[in-house]
Amino acid sequence: MRENQNGRITLSIRNLSKIFRGRQDQVQALDDLSLDIREGELFTFLGPSGCGKTTTLRCIAGFEKPTSGAIDFLGRDFTSIPPFRRNIGMVFQSYALFPHLSIFENVAYGLRIRKLSRREIEERVNRIIALVGLEATQKRKPSELSGGQQQRIALARALVYDPQLLLLDEPLSNLDAKLRVFMREEIRRIQQQAKVTTIYVTHDQEEALSISDRIAVMHAGKVSQVGSPDEIYENPVSIRVADFIGQANFLACSARGDGDPVLTFRSNEEITVKNSSGNIRSFRDREGILFVRPEQMEITADPDHPNSLRGEVKVILYLGSVVRYYVEIFQNDSPQEILVDQDRRVRGVGVGDPVAVIVHGQEAKLFPTEQKQQLDQE
Amino acid sequence: MAGTIKDKLKAFELTPFLVLGLALIILVVFIAYPLSKVVFNSFIELGDAPTLGNLTLANFSQFSTSNLYRSAFFNTMTVGLFCVLFSCLLGIPMAYFVAKTETPLKTFFLTLGTLPLILPPFVGAYSWILLFGRQGVINYFLEAAVGIKLPDIYGAPGVIIAITMSTYPFIFLLTYGALISADPFIEESAEIMGASRWRVIRTVTLPLVIPAIMAGALIVFMRSVGNFGVPAILGGNFYVLPTLIYFQVTGFFNLNAAGAIAMVNVVLVAFAILLSQWITARRSYVTITSTTQAARISSSKLLKWVGTIFCLGVIFFSLLPHITVILTSFTEGWAGTRYPNKFSLQNYRRIFEIALTPIRNSLFLATTATLIAAVIGTLLSYINVRRNLRARWILDLTVMLPFILPGIVVGVAILIGFSSGLLILSGTWMILVVGFFIRRMPYIFRSTTASLSQIDVAVEEASSITGASWLTTFRKITLPLMAPGILAGAVISFATLMGELSTTVILYSARWKTISVAIVEYLFSATIGPAYALGTILIVLVLSSITLANRILGRRMSQMFKMV
Repeated sequence: MRENQNGRITLSIRNLSKIFRGRQDQVQALDDLSLDIREGELFTFLGPSGCGKTTTLRCIAGFEKPTSGAIDFLGRDFTSIPPFRRNIGMVFQSYALFPHLSIFENVAYGLRIRKLSRREIEERVNRIIALVGLEATQKRKPSELSGGQQQRIALARALVYDPQLLLLDEPLSNLDAKLRVFMREEIRRIQQQAKVTTIYVTHDQEEALSISDRIAVMHAGKVSQVGSPDEIYENPVSIRVADFIGQANFLACSARGDGDPVLTFRSNEEITVKNSSGNIRSFRDREGILFVRPEQMEITADPDHPNSLRGEVKVILYLGSVVRYYVEIFQNDSPQEILVDQDRRVRGVGVGDPVAVIVHGQEAKLFPTEQKQQLDQE
Repeated sequence: MAGTIKDKLKAFELTPFLVLGLALIILVVFIAYPLSKVVFNSFIELGDAPTLGNLTLANFSQFSTSNLYRSAFFNTMTVGLFCVLFSCLLGIPMAYFVAKTETPLKTFFLTLGTLPLILPPFVGAYSWILLFGRQGVINYFLEAAVGIKLPDIYGAPGVIIAITMSTYPFIFLLTYGALISADPFIEESAEIMGASRWRVIRTVTLPLVIPAIMAGALIVFMRSVGNFGVPAILGGNFYVLPTLIYFQVTGFFNLNAAGAIAMVNVVLVAFAILLSQWITARRSYVTITSTTQAARISSSKLLKWVGTIFCLGVIFFSLLPHITVILTSFTEGWAGTRYPNKFSLQNYRRIFEIALTPIRNSLFLATTATLIAAVIGTLLSYINVRRNLRARWILDLTVMLPFILPGIVVGVAILIGFSSGLLILSGTWMILVVGFFIRRMPYIFRSTTASLSQIDVAVEEASSITGASWLTTFRKITLPLMAPGILAGAVISFATLMGELSTTVILYSARWKTISVAIVEYLFSATIGPAYALGTILIVLVLSSITLANRILGRRMSQMFKMV
């Protein structure tokens, strides 16, 4: 399903740093960032606001000058080329359609600048407007279109002149939830059809997971992890990434045992996990933080179930596709709330009931305690 | 890492820097240079060479030795303060009635309440004499009917009344704008906590509009202490600083002494600016308008009718001089009789025989200056908003200076700057255009800055990433989006330049008389008929240009003045 794992490298970011200097202070927006982006892939920069993802995108577009470092595009140094000569298509968060021009003229803008013949302009505009499914709107002004339609016209305008690179800056953040899901599938479909190398910026991890070939998770101007959505979700390299992507539980414990490792929690409860990865073994006789996703756990009303942690149900949330249980377990003296997702309601379990939480630890992972402390401090 | 020098050159876009350079040169040559020359020359005695060794306070010592100077100074202060006071007394209640009560005719009040800003006040000034002067028609009837004799209109009362009637709209419109944009929920929350209606007005509504009132009061003060035409016509022996400057320039051609008086005039204005900043800084309110809901309106019937009568009264009284101008222009020899008794077009026939040149001159000068101001003002506001200049405040201050300074001071500066030295323009039409252009550029600068700030930078970035160079983006995207702002600013510039007097009176020459100069000459030689016919033509020209622009822009007249 994921193509181009070994495609040619088109865009290469080398040691990129950007410092914004204010009157009194300065902000390091990008800190020695290096990345390779492959031909035809949809690459996503994912992170909370202020992590440097938009700055990276604006450096690639040429709207910001990097303080140091280089951006290499197919062997050319991008930093010495002004934005209008980079042959890039870009979709802005606010869409930035030209309010005084008709939809047709908006889309035709890049073609007119490239001085194409009238016939060719008409042909290509019609083709791309058909691709985004808005044939009937050509004569209208942007203000007469809905948010989703404007979004698609912005995409058409960016793609019509066959750019070598497509940049999308939080393109879906102004749409309502349902349209967002629909549009991200549309963007994916159109991007695959146009076969254009695409860089996508978002703070929405669900959006990133669903749309990307590869994701760079960013924090404080640096890349925390680069990988396919599956890798990022299933095998995060740090507590920070694990915490940012999806829901996660973090439980302090120590590991021992020669065969299947046995985890001892602060409540002195012990569970054996079927897990042969070296990760857990490396924590032998040391305390670490167990990372386990809510769907890798199970609730049972039988309090004596083996391989489980005892707790009490505090809240039950019905989320449609899953039912989320907030269970309070006892770690030494201090209670801790963990999340357990079940496909459906567990019979005989209500709020206030004692339960046992079974950990399916095949994919569980341990992280060093310091990482958790650092994250908690922020 | 870095590309070759050739690559670097390619990356560098020259056009925006050329534009920036050109704009800055214009600022320096036409604003900074003449203004600094006035300051310098005011410390040099007439006839001395302008060198550092000849610096002296002689020109300023007149203010302590001469009674005329001293009284002119205090007269100017008096005019300024009373005009602010009376403008507030008229403007604030009117704003409240139009914004907050069920007064009918709101659009009518707003439109006619804007007119005095566009109509040159000196044109109507003489009408006060016709109406309330010693032989005035209203004075006569009042005496005949109830036996009251009004005090003499000449001097301070006439000057203050006439100026107030042309400045109260600043208070009215700014306060009105603040009242209707204030979040209605703030008042409602005061009411829900148990405050009575008067308490809400006193403790919530008024405090929220105080910054707007202060801003209006400042403009009123600047306008009234800088007004030349009204005191020139109605002042008699009541001298103010602008008439004193005129006296020095035309009577003695002592530009250095005029410069010194101008400096004192400017100090008054500067003091007012500092005072108003000090007041507003101590009470600034940030309100977050979370709603587009319209302002809440009082349903009191009493307020509705009191308000309507009040507004009608103010509007009638403020437009009375101009109505008188128009009526009189169609009569023969009213000034000699109690009231008009013979209507004819005789005045217009005379105007077409003798005064076509001033009309042509005014049209030519106003159009040329407006076009130049539109081009330069637009570019400067682009630089101001879009280029991240460290010294932005210097740019802003330089452009806005001629707006703050009294017109006659700008006239003196331009005359001193360009009657000697490298660039000699005195006696030509160009010196008038320079004066007009720098005085009206702030209008365009303000209105284009406002419309540019509304344009999302991303729209220009989108054009640039699509492949358009800076110039293409500016031409195809930025400029069309700024167009309404440019047009609005240009029309106000043109309309107000058509009747410009205070700068013109210093800079005009025999060959380049304008409508305003011709009107004043007629008034001084007591040929009221032709003066008023010319005045009527001026009023018609001004109103039709504004009306046309309103049609094109689809805005109300009062909205066009929001940024001025």
